[in-house]
Amino acid sequence: MMQCGWPLLGPLQWIRYVNRQVMVKAGNDEEHRGWLLTVDPVSASLVLVTFREEGRASVQVVMGHAVEEVQVLQEADEETTRRLQTSFLPARTCGLDP
Amino acid sequence: SIPTSAASEADPEQLQQEQHARSVLRESFLRCLLSMNSKKVQFHMHEKVKLEATFGASDIDVLNFQVSDLHTPIGVQKEALIRCQDVISFTFDV
Repeated sequence: MMQCGWPLLGPLQWIRYVNRQVMVKAGNDEEHRGWLLTVDPVSASLVLVTFREEGRASVQVVMGHAVEEVQVLQEADEETTRRLQTSFLPARTCGLDP
Repeated sequence: SIPTSAASEADPEQLQQEQHARSVLRESFLRCLLSMNSKKVQFHMHEKVKLEATFGASDIDVLNFQVSDLHTPIGVQKEALIRCQDVISFTFDV
């Protein structure tokens, strides 16, 4: 569980939350749950994914400056991790590596 | 804005790990932004204000979003910039 100071944690801490189901409190009265896809290292914003039926998903982005608390609920199994990490990959994968 | 390195100025190995983590996280975030292009997005602002708009782009330091057809309580704005500081969260479907 993390309270305040989320934007100051840094990449090595943020990446430990990836592929985990988290509950994020933000603003004064917002609470979001979802699988953490990534944290933008520039704005500390969290990208949460909630899977719906038939391969559809809803994505919530919580701005880093508004985050008040991040709580880990559970780890993803292999299938969920795969589904999560391929959500935004283009049909033909083109990596940024040379 | 967030400092580029948190606590690893002294240790080159840790700095490299940190930079790798940063690039993995950022690439994933940029792909998410790309997929939002032309999608309907609901913004949750302070004071429980909710806005809907078609997402265009973000600047690199995530300070502003460019959107179209912004539905505000006083009408529809054809083109607009939203200050990210005013946004708590936003959602869209893929």
